[in-house]
Amino acid sequence: MSRGKLEKTLGEGKFAVTAEIGPPRGANAEVIRQKAGLLKGCVDAVNVTDNQTAIVRMSSISACAHVVQMGMEPVMQMVTRDRNRIALQSDIMGAYSLGIRNMLCLSGDHQTFGSQPGAMNVFDIDSVHLIHTVKTMRDEGKDMSGYELNVAPRMFIGAAENPFADPFEYRVIRLAKKVAAGVDFIQTQCVYDMVRFKEWMKQARERGLTEKVYILAGVTPLKSARMAKYMASKVAGIMIPEQMIRRMEGAAKETAAAEGIKICLETIQELREIPGLAGIHIMAIEWEEKVAEIVKDAGLYPRP
Amino acid sequence: MIVGEQKPLEEIKAKVDGYSKILILGCGTCVKTCFAGGEDEVAMLALALRLSLKMEGKSIRVEEQTVERQCEDEFIKEAAANIADVKAVVSLACGAGVQMVASRFPQVSLLPGVNTTFIGILEKAGLFTEKCLGCGNCVVDLFGGICPISRCAKKLFHGPCGGSSKGKCEVNADTDCAWQLIVDHAAATGQLDKLAEYVPPKDWRSSQAGGPRKVHREDHEI
Amino acid sequence: MLMENVRRMSGKGGLVRTRKPRITVFHCFTALENTASLEGSDYEIQGIKMPCSSISREGFLLRAFEAGADAVVVLVCPVNSCRYVQGNIRTEKRVSRVKKILDEIGIGGRRLNMYNIVQGDEAAARRIIEQTVAELGEWGLSAAA
Repeated sequence: MSRGKLEKTLGEGKFAVTAEIGPPRGANAEVIRQKAGLLKGCVDAVNVTDNQTAIVRMSSISACAHVVQMGMEPVMQMVTRDRNRIALQSDIMGAYSLGIRNMLCLSGDHQTFGSQPGAMNVFDIDSVHLIHTVKTMRDEGKDMSGYELNVAPRMFIGAAENPFADPFEYRVIRLAKKVAAGVDFIQTQCVYDMVRFKEWMKQARERGLTEKVYILAGVTPLKSARMAKYMASKVAGIMIPEQMIRRMEGAAKETAAAEGIKICLETIQELREIPGLAGIHIMAIEWEEKVAEIVKDAGLYPRP
Repeated sequence: MIVGEQKPLEEIKAKVDGYSKILILGCGTCVKTCFAGGEDEVAMLALALRLSLKMEGKSIRVEEQTVERQCEDEFIKEAAANIADVKAVVSLACGAGVQMVASRFPQVSLLPGVNTTFIGILEKAGLFTEKCLGCGNCVVDLFGGICPISRCAKKLFHGPCGGSSKGKCEVNADTDCAWQLIVDHAAATGQLDKLAEYVPPKDWRSSQAGGPRKVHREDHEI
Repeated sequence: MLMENVRRMSGKGGLVRTRKPRITVFHCFTALENTASLEGSDYEIQGIKMPCSSISREGFLLRAFEAGADAVVVLVCPVNSCRYVQGNIRTEKRVSRVKKILDEIGIGGRRLNMYNIVQGDEAAARRIIEQTVAELGEWGLSAAA
């Protein structure tokens, strides 16, 4: 069994870099190749989202298969909103057979936010159940019924955590639950509020969790003051400090994006100094072309 | 109780279009309590239908009757005489009552006048909230008396999700995040560590997903 | 003026049977003892006396229109003076509800109104009736009556 590059990098104690792309709303594989191509050499693995915000897109598993064919390493995101345990286990086996080595276990944004809000949701199991399931498939070679699998899918198991959502005092307990269920790595929601993030990391260290799981901090470069204000007020679980919004407002329209990148680089710099942090996860959705620049300017290029 | 809402007048009007005489059959239990289909609502609907059609130059004869419950033969048969007299019945009972009347009186058109929504409680005057999905295996004790299946939009057993904000659900800012309530209760009663435990996936066979269900109490059969 | 309105309602220029406008008055007997003092020669009053105005259930308010009322007036005690505490509050809610239904079916919610009057203030009640009669002069009689 070959370990993926992400697992290997983290296992060797090196600071990891991942990024994220979203599949097209259609059957056009070229979109995947183009987006992933922009990240080649800059990341250890690239997340492929699973019908994110419940908008119907090409499936994550198939888009990941295209990424594998390009010689890059995907992280297959899997939500429990749309598929029951039968379909999820089935896709995990299929994914591994297609050369996919990493997956992220998520519950998923509610379907009422998406492009087909009248759809029935599933939520047969939640993200913690899914982590537990993949771990059992990997380490015991059994599915949820105890059946012995004909080749166990040896996935590197990830999950998400949000240090900025409520209730704050419970967030680290929830992280502990995911670790107990068997998660190998965590990617957090994008960090702007460094004070809160450092507090969360401190609590994670105090519980010994940073010894048991690799934590990658999410970063998203701001494109404009409008984007900053929108995210701060309309997107649940994102906190942006007032002075950061004012900084974006203070920049002229033509230079706002550059200011956003600057803030992003400063954030990465500060994150690298946090003890127990294993890497960063760059979410520059629909701005993938900036990832290479960010990775290089942050001194994280070339990838080990 | 079972909570429902009366269908809009326009929808009911469309359903009774073409019938010269109908019976509006109310129910005196759950739908009366949530002001959807009790005696008062039957009277109002009858009047609204007659007046509305009169304004359009049409007419309709509307009989009114309300029985204690439409989910039991003992009460439904009180309506037999009125039902025999019409070709269509608008039942204001919940979906269960509507179907029972339909099966006992197959010769009439059974038209539902209420949208049945959920099993819930009267939170305060005028406010009914959903509490139970009828999953068939109650484990609310694991969650401090708050059911995550019916009250969490994602049925999470290890919530909250990343969208919980200021104690409210990401789906609806008016809805309390069930997991915030569960965590608060656990914290207040010194049981936060209990919430750190893994709860295995649910066996959904006891729910409607396992197929339409029945409860057969042979010890009460006569 | 009322006769012209009745002819307009019928849509024809020929001779039309005229009638006086009919007003149904629901009142609690604390607000007003009876509707004798509200009688007039240009209109017909039907009084419905109740121990509390909240007895005026939606069905009864609607029924008044079916029974021939062109307008319905509900007289209640002032806010915070209901001897049953919440009676007039409940009445207000019911009246609101029925106004919406009357709008929906085309009769017009404006024909139903609730007024708070001080206990026994017959003069205020008369003014309300006169105002209602004047409004009916503008709106015409109810097509559903």
